[in-house]
Amino acid sequence: MSKKVLVVDDDPDVRLFNTTVVEENGYTPLEAENGEEALKIIQDKKPDLVILDILMPKQSGIRLYRELKTNKALAGVKVVILSGIAKRTFLRSQKALTEFGDAEVPEPEVYLEKPVDSEELADVMRKVLA
Amino acid sequence: MPKILLIDDEDDILRVLSMSLRSDGYEVVTAASGKEGIEVFQDQLPQIILTDIKMPGMDGLQVLRHIKELSPDTEVIIITGHGDIDSAIEALQYGASDFINKPVKDEALSIALKRAEEKLHIRRQLKEYTTDLETMVKIATEEFERKSNFQAELIQSSNDGIVATDDESNIVIFNPGAERIFNYRRFEVRDMAARDLFPTEVADFLEKKNGCDKKNRGLSWKEIVVTSKTGEKIPVRFSATHLFENNEVMGSVAFFQDLREIKRLEKELVNSERLAAIGQTVAGLAHCIKNILHGFKGGSYLVDIGIDRDNTEKLTKGWQMIQRNIARTSDLVLDLLSYSKDREPEYESCFPNAIADDVCELLKDLANDYDIEIVKDFSPDVGERVMDPRIIYRSLLNLASNAIDACIFDENVKDRHRVIVTTTVEDGQFIRFDVTDNGAGMSDEVQSKLFTSFFSTKGAKGTGLGLLVTGKLIEEHQGTIGVSSEPGMGTTFVMRLPFSNED
Repeated sequence: MSKKVLVVDDDPDVRLFNTTVVEENGYTPLEAENGEEALKIIQDKKPDLVILDILMPKQSGIRLYRELKTNKALAGVKVVILSGIAKRTFLRSQKALTEFGDAEVPEPEVYLEKPVDSEELADVMRKVLA
Repeated sequence: MPKILLIDDEDDILRVLSMSLRSDGYEVVTAASGKEGIEVFQDQLPQIILTDIKMPGMDGLQVLRHIKELSPDTEVIIITGHGDIDSAIEALQYGASDFINKPVKDEALSIALKRAEEKLHIRRQLKEYTTDLETMVKIATEEFERKSNFQAELIQSSNDGIVATDDESNIVIFNPGAERIFNYRRFEVRDMAARDLFPTEVADFLEKKNGCDKKNRGLSWKEIVVTSKTGEKIPVRFSATHLFENNEVMGSVAFFQDLREIKRLEKELVNSERLAAIGQTVAGLAHCIKNILHGFKGGSYLVDIGIDRDNTEKLTKGWQMIQRNIARTSDLVLDLLSYSKDREPEYESCFPNAIADDVCELLKDLANDYDIEIVKDFSPDVGERVMDPRIIYRSLLNLASNAIDACIFDENVKDRHRVIVTTTVEDGQFIRFDVTDNGAGMSDEVQSKLFTSFFSTKGAKGTGLGLLVTGKLIEEHQGTIGVSSEPGMGTTFVMRLPFSNED
């Protein structure tokens, strides 16, 4: 049974691209178009890796990332951020949430800024899932 | 006491009379002939002359005429021979003040002198009064001139254009401020009527077309556009009032404030705000462009796989992805261009309802996919109008697709999502377009950002430029747009665009 990789993005083109890369590298792709849908799939299917966009309608990637990092039941799920948002913007908003009383969360294992080549994405997946 | 000149060729009479007069208190000078009398008169300037009529050489009547020529105010009393009525009458005709008979009786003399003195006195008083009156008239005239100069100066130096017309609507005052606005010189408008120079609305008022009374004499300030001599359209603030004289209209005065500079500054401000908005936009754009680039990479990756494996499905999907992102790029660039560039509306005859219908048809498939109903409610009165059809189309497409997105993003459970597009004619000068949805609605904070800056709630779907561009297009069409919305309930956008009728 190959490892499962969940691709979360509201843009269907991005999902098609990312799931193709997942498939081509021998993993099983799963898809969600927003944070809410993603959380359901994570709880049902326990993917090994989530490739997560930040800016999405309905629940954003920022909230889902916090959920993944603070929920003990989901501690084994690895996260790669893939977003058009710059890394420092993402960290700043996480820090702001922490200052407002939320728990502190670690930085993501890998932060990729769009656009990303297929090789780069494949390398990152292999490294994280090794 | 007045000075008296006594003229007689008889030495005795001279002596007796002068003694008698002196004892009465008069200052007396004498002459023994008419000729000498004239010389003494010119030298001594007596106020009263007493002269015998019969003298050798120059006689009394000649003296009288001569004196009256020299000094009409001098009183001349003629002494005539007893019973010489003809001479006496002749003397009176020549302007003698009185005559007495010889031999001169004291009583007759003193009455004649008294009368002469009274006449002198009255004449002097009259002269004083006249002089006083003249002085007063002069002072009043000067004061009046000063005041009227002051007012003329005030009108001349006013920065506002001031134009006054008489009761026949001829232009009588046209100050330099008005010359600057209308580009006519004062002498050029002298023979013009108000109607030749002003828009109908202003001319109607000045010609009292709408009736006028003292209570309701003025027009309050409003903005209008006037046409200068060179045909330039000049925006002005305008006010006017009728001028009354004893309840009768004697003319009108109109005031014009030149708004060109203010309008230019306003436009500059809007431009600089737009540039600032573009600055903010760049940050948002970067995000949008990154997504598009990512799409291109994805597309070319799929195409590569399709070619390598001869897999038509992957090839097709990859190519479609590239095409979609080409479209997104061109949308973005076009939005950005139309937002940053000034474009004059191109007015032409069009059918606003047909345009609204095109927009609804275009969005029908998308709406069906999400089970959203599009309701068309077009007024048949809208008909054919002269407007910019491209502006109607782009603005309406933006508002309607926003409305559909608002339904798609809505998380609340509703019977059925619905977008209603309404058209109506308003005030005989606007076409009003309402786009109403029962979708997600917006908070006050979101509403406040709608037209001012790059802003999107749609994640990867929006460029944040749509409403900015729509707002700008509507403004260029001299229209307005408004919004009311409640989170969870839905949103209504109301767009009003002015039209002119088919010409």
